[in-house]
Amino acid sequence: MPSSNLNDSDLDRLGLETPIARIDRALKQLWEGDEAKTRASLINLAIYTEDSCQLMADNDLLDEVAAQHACRALLILALPEAQPPRARSWIQALCRPYQGKQVVCSEQISFVLEGGDAAQVQNIVFAHLDSDLPLVVWWQADLSKNFEERLYSRIDTLIIDSSRWSYPARQFDVLLATMAAEPGGFDVRDLAWTRSHFMRTALASCFQDATACQNLAKLQTIQITHLKGQRTTALLLAAWINQRLKASLSMELIEKETGPALQGLVLEGEGVRGEVRRDCDSCFVRVSSTCGENTREDLLPADVDSEAELVSEQLSRFHGSTLYSSMLPFVRSMLK
Amino acid sequence: MPELENPFQETLLSRHRAEPCTVVIFGATGDLTHRKLIPAIYNIAAAGDLPPQFKVVGFARRDKTDEGFRKELEEGNRQNSRQGHNDELWNSFSQCIHYHRSEFEDLEGYKSLGKLLDQFDAERGAPANRLFYLAAAPEAFKPILEMIRAAGLNEGTKGKWARVVCEKPFGKDLATAQELNAVVAATFAEKDTYRIDHYLGKETAQNIMVLRFANSIFEPNWNSRYIDNVQITCAENLGMEGGRGGYYDTAGALRDMVQNHLLQLVTLVAMEPPTDLSADSVRDEKVKVIRALRPLVGPEAVGKNVVRAQYTAGSVDGTPRVGYRQEDRVNPESNTEPYVALRLMIDTWRWQGVPFYIRVGKQLPKKATEISIHFKKPPQVPFATSSMLRNSENTLVIRIQPDEGIALRILCKQPGQAMSMQQVKMDFRYSSSFGKASPEAYERLLLDAMAGDATLFARRDEVENAWRFIDEIENAWHKSDSPPVMHEYPAGSWGPKEADDLLRADGREWRLL
Repeated sequence: MPSSNLNDSDLDRLGLETPIARIDRALKQLWEGDEAKTRASLINLAIYTEDSCQLMADNDLLDEVAAQHACRALLILALPEAQPPRARSWIQALCRPYQGKQVVCSEQISFVLEGGDAAQVQNIVFAHLDSDLPLVVWWQADLSKNFEERLYSRIDTLIIDSSRWSYPARQFDVLLATMAAEPGGFDVRDLAWTRSHFMRTALASCFQDATACQNLAKLQTIQITHLKGQRTTALLLAAWINQRLKASLSMELIEKETGPALQGLVLEGEGVRGEVRRDCDSCFVRVSSTCGENTREDLLPADVDSEAELVSEQLSRFHGSTLYSSMLPFVRSMLK
Repeated sequence: MPELENPFQETLLSRHRAEPCTVVIFGATGDLTHRKLIPAIYNIAAAGDLPPQFKVVGFARRDKTDEGFRKELEEGNRQNSRQGHNDELWNSFSQCIHYHRSEFEDLEGYKSLGKLLDQFDAERGAPANRLFYLAAAPEAFKPILEMIRAAGLNEGTKGKWARVVCEKPFGKDLATAQELNAVVAATFAEKDTYRIDHYLGKETAQNIMVLRFANSIFEPNWNSRYIDNVQITCAENLGMEGGRGGYYDTAGALRDMVQNHLLQLVTLVAMEPPTDLSADSVRDEKVKVIRALRPLVGPEAVGKNVVRAQYTAGSVDGTPRVGYRQEDRVNPESNTEPYVALRLMIDTWRWQGVPFYIRVGKQLPKKATEISIHFKKPPQVPFATSSMLRNSENTLVIRIQPDEGIALRILCKQPGQAMSMQQVKMDFRYSSSFGKASPEAYERLLLDAMAGDATLFARRDEVENAWRFIDEIENAWHKSDSPPVMHEYPAGSWGPKEADDLLRADGREWRLL
């Protein structure tokens, strides 16, 4: 991929261009003589992409995420096919006011690596970590050759978004194989799975009371309405429902051109119905459950939507859940 | 028949789940309901943590409709909600709020409350749990509890629970606390009684246990071998504004703050590691600390270890302040202390010889609550004179409010040819490290009460043992022939000189906040 997709005015937004060998010194200079700024860091957060169009969006995203989670941010654009080989870097401080007078900042280091290989990515990441802090990597590219053992063995939390994968079945296979190779290793957080959290919470509330709960066995169908491009998100939700019910309900996915990633979920059976509906512009979901003659309605929060919010949400949870990994075989079988 | 588990629920929550219930708030027209309780419940709803088919019933004397009550609460929520106010959410949430008018002593009012709760159950199609929240004035607790029992509302129906949450003050001395406990015990089992101390719901207070027991570097040093003294300061820069003088003048700093909040902080700092995190394991360890407090019996012991004081006219932040006795609704001849400083000793192996200095006061220079752990100085520092080491002990500071966080003070070599040392501070701040705002203490505590987790609530024996310790001091002040002196300090100062002398006698100083 040619590097010409990146224009200078965009790259200027990455901060001060600095030779890679001088990054530490440049970061130090960034803080010197500015008493009002406090550097804060709780994690190393690396974003890895192989899509040059994504670079500036990720740059904006880091600004939002760092406002919630003080971090050493590493933004890495790798263009393995680009020639001639070249590596550039930029530094900047992501700052926000605190209590009116003080400013709290995270550091961001951005890299554009043209023609590099897996070893170069590893070297770049490992050379610029804030020591002793956990390493969280959001791997936006396919889990390809650059995602290899020496890198992932050092990762504490791996963030992925399976809804972005062009060939989800193949990628889930790689993910499962990697997790098998690193038992007890990194924790996986899938943004596609996080996107369905509010739907799962709302669905749980549909069947909270004893009467509704008793009718769960009567459920026969799942209908999920999702945004185009979020099929995997919908499949993960369906897999979870089947896993929880220990059933295999018939499934219908309805794709929409616009609106939130997940827009509707209906579970239905004889005399029992649970529905979760999210309107386009609402930050709430309407929940209704019907058992026989009784219908109950509720309004619940719709959770977060933007990628920055999804990532922030993941970083707020220190411990991952084994639920997601236990579901992967189900999802994988649905993708056959 | 055991209740069916909701298979969708079990995997979603990392904490105890609030169970479907109706919360009945006694004293629903009061300040606490408007400023704290309803905004807390609203924020729980905004986070999606409220159980389904949830109801709130406000119980109070004034005549109101449901709609009128909701309107008043909406105003309070707009002003006090941590996450702001969303009209769409409020409109949905407020439908679960109802109002029930009754005198606290009127049994018929409780019977009609029972009918209302039954009506909600019928609408739900199933009985629900009931949480009774006593937010009324303390003198109303007894009649409320007796009427709840007389109306049969204290028994959960069809396997559901009925619990009570009691706001402080829980009694005004040991005798009244025991009397109240007896009334509570006659109405609710201890496991269903939740005595709230909102300090325990604060993030930093909860973090004390994590700091101590999840970090291996602190616990080995957390004893008399390495710790010289512990200081707990709770400073307020306000006086008796908003008519608070009426209540405060009957209580004083010792009863209002030390008996509950500050002794709870002492227990968290001094307790042994619990065997597990169950409510009773944690509270067993806390009670052991209170029992191990060396009693201060008689005016002499009290005079030696406790300093009480009233503020005189002065200024805080450049604003003139009147003296305590000139405050609104305060007796001009009052003998109540808006300031108290204590030296406590805990007679256990771990804490033998380590004083815990506590001070709490009104009209001090700033609002701050913090715990500081002062470590012993090293036995010998070859490159420093004793004057260089003055006030240079390692200090671990746990800031409870504001600006919650933890700081560690250490000595470092100053750059240069000479071997000079300087104190530096390593500072962790919740707000700059975690962008996400902590939930309000009441949110956490209400959810815990709904979920049946009593860890952050005081148990009967904790309360009574704390009163037993406090009563000795109160007796020396108010019932002895030669009571210790009531000292004075100008408003805006850090308290009376005698409080400084309390530490100076031990060769120590209060930490400068």
